[in-house]
Amino acid sequence: MHSKTWMKYFMLTIALMVGIITTGTDIAHASKEPHYVITTDTTYPPFELQDKNGKYVGIDIDILKEIAKREHFTYKLVPISFNSGAQAVLSGQFDAIMAGMAITPARKEVYDFGTPYYKTGVIAAISKNSNIKSLDDLRGKTVALKTGTGAAAYALSIQKQYGFKVTYFNDSNTMYNDVALGNTVATFEDEPVMKYAIQNGVKLKILTKPANSGYYGFGVKKGHNQALIKKFNAGFASIKEDGTYDKIVAKYIGAKESNFAGSAKVNNSIWGLLKQNKSQFLAGIGQTLMLTILGIILATIFGVAIGILAIIPNKFSHGFASTIIYIFRGLPLLVLAFFIYIGIPSLTGHKLSALFSGLITLMLNEGAYIAAFVAGGLKAVDNGQMEAARSLGLSYGKAMLKVVMPQGIKLMVPSFVNQFIITLKDTSILSAIGIIELTQTGTVIISRNSQGFRVWFLVALMYLIMITLLTFLAKWADKKFGGN
Amino acid sequence: MTAKVTVKDLHKAYGDNEVLKGINLEVQENEVVVMIGPSGSGKSTFLRTLNKLEDPTSGEILINGYNLVDKKTDINKVRENVGMVFQHFNLFPHLSVLENVILAPVELGKMSKEDAKALGMQLLTQVGLAEKADAKPTQLSGGQKQRVAIARALAMKPSIMLFDEPTSALDPEMVGDVLQVMRDLAEDGMTMIVVTHEMGFAKQVADRVVFFADGYIREQGTPEEVFNNPQDPRAQDFLNKVLNV
Repeated sequence: MHSKTWMKYFMLTIALMVGIITTGTDIAHASKEPHYVITTDTTYPPFELQDKNGKYVGIDIDILKEIAKREHFTYKLVPISFNSGAQAVLSGQFDAIMAGMAITPARKEVYDFGTPYYKTGVIAAISKNSNIKSLDDLRGKTVALKTGTGAAAYALSIQKQYGFKVTYFNDSNTMYNDVALGNTVATFEDEPVMKYAIQNGVKLKILTKPANSGYYGFGVKKGHNQALIKKFNAGFASIKEDGTYDKIVAKYIGAKESNFAGSAKVNNSIWGLLKQNKSQFLAGIGQTLMLTILGIILATIFGVAIGILAIIPNKFSHGFASTIIYIFRGLPLLVLAFFIYIGIPSLTGHKLSALFSGLITLMLNEGAYIAAFVAGGLKAVDNGQMEAARSLGLSYGKAMLKVVMPQGIKLMVPSFVNQFIITLKDTSILSAIGIIELTQTGTVIISRNSQGFRVWFLVALMYLIMITLLTFLAKWADKKFGGN
Repeated sequence: MTAKVTVKDLHKAYGDNEVLKGINLEVQENEVVVMIGPSGSGKSTFLRTLNKLEDPTSGEILINGYNLVDKKTDINKVRENVGMVFQHFNLFPHLSVLENVILAPVELGKMSKEDAKALGMQLLTQVGLAEKADAKPTQLSGGQKQRVAIARALAMKPSIMLFDEPTSALDPEMVGDVLQVMRDLAEDGMTMIVVTHEMGFAKQVADRVVFFADGYIREQGTPEEVFNNPQDPRAQDFLNKVLNV
């Protein structure tokens, strides 16, 4: 009876895995038009932002959509933090990046860019009530920069001259808030982006004239996807000529945020925020739960297997299991996630979907912890149990499965509950590789409406509710399977 | 008579500590051999080598014709025919009494679950615990646990039974029931090798008494010979101490 249910779970997991792998790799496409996977930033208004229905809009997004239509190609847009996206293009995860990327000599070494599509310059911005008068006043103070951006590169180039210190952020809105709150004294940002943010209520003001003028470009990995660059250039010439380009820019530059994000009144009440972003929050919760549950199932299978390898009396298997536990317990989850998502495709040339990479990350990391306590739990079962089972003629495997494991698992139940809760929280780290789970959902909603405190409050509440439910479920399972 | 167990020049060492220093023993079919001797004399270790819970360092062991020292011998096949009863019972606490008894025959495909249950109930009746079939081991007294452990070993229909101090962990008033079950088994013709401190049992039931000391067999013979007229000074000293309290 027990073995049948186990079998069912196992088959279900395999089916889900296959599903994820096949939907995740996203290479085949039904239509005859060429299909590309293109990354963009999660938060870079007015170039990319989510509207109140959770759909991506903005100058970059609209230009891309129009060019694709005219040049007959299809694409899948993957919003992910700028720095990760830029690296993932180079590792072959994505075909191209359209994310307000400034064309710099350093980038030209590794990317090929299409026709420059937007002129920009870098400005410094400070808190509205700051008494800083010029860049000279920054000496000895700390400046906030966004990782991997052209503005950050510019700031670093003048750092020696003005003698400021720097700190880094992955998302614009958090960075603006840091400056507005006075934790850091200034930030460097592309002019249109900063202007849009200030117009929409970010409490900063612009300190300097645009410097280091340059252009944004549509980038592909150097020497790759040349056909796509050609299509982009042809399409761009076409929208520039008939005025579509100007219409798109005008639509966003100088636009009120409420056009996209809903009214201020709605944004100021927690209930209003919840209602307005209901579908996004639900999608985020769904993704978080899916990652948690599949992650736990995979980690449990992996962890139990490695845990058993760690205790069977064989030097090779013991050494193997100990090494696996040592490596994956020792690596920070974030490093492991980046290594799998960005590192492995660079080595093998095969794309991995963010979701697939995230699940593998959870399986290895959480699985290593599970393996450690599975081995401990099995060792804690009295050796006489194994001897008695073997004396009856049962093989080592059968004795382990029928006699030792059922007793060991009871000892492990509290550790499992603990690990499940940790797994749920750890899924938030996977936002870094662009999975739009609950934490990332919070980030993108804030990038649109600047309601940091209220949105984080809602997100925190949602995590607590999920953890409470998971704990209840675990207690129920403990009673059902753990008790005598 | 055929030899069920043949042991030749058996040695067993843990590192530098040699606990068995050359044991020779033959046990015939239907024979009941009781092994006595002071603690640490090697009798339990010897018993555990007979179903390979301990690996011998050197020597020869034949059980039902199977050579245990040969790595090619399927030890699981040998064990199916050799029942073992432990000092600390080692019942499986997550299973009911009946499930303990039928686990091995069902898992090893010896019989259907229905047949195993019928056999299990018959064995539990034999050891006087049919009414405890659905109880969990934790609900049983020590003596009851040991009788279930005997039934569990018998469920594989072994031709040899090994008992490793089966009554040492029991309260005195529980000992009698367990010994009675063992006595019945002996009367039914089971080949038995028993390590025990129960001298009364040895006198009454044993065909042969074997005295262990310091990793050697010092003396063996019928109960009358060993108990009434021991030749070895270590045996004389030991028996003097345990019989004249």
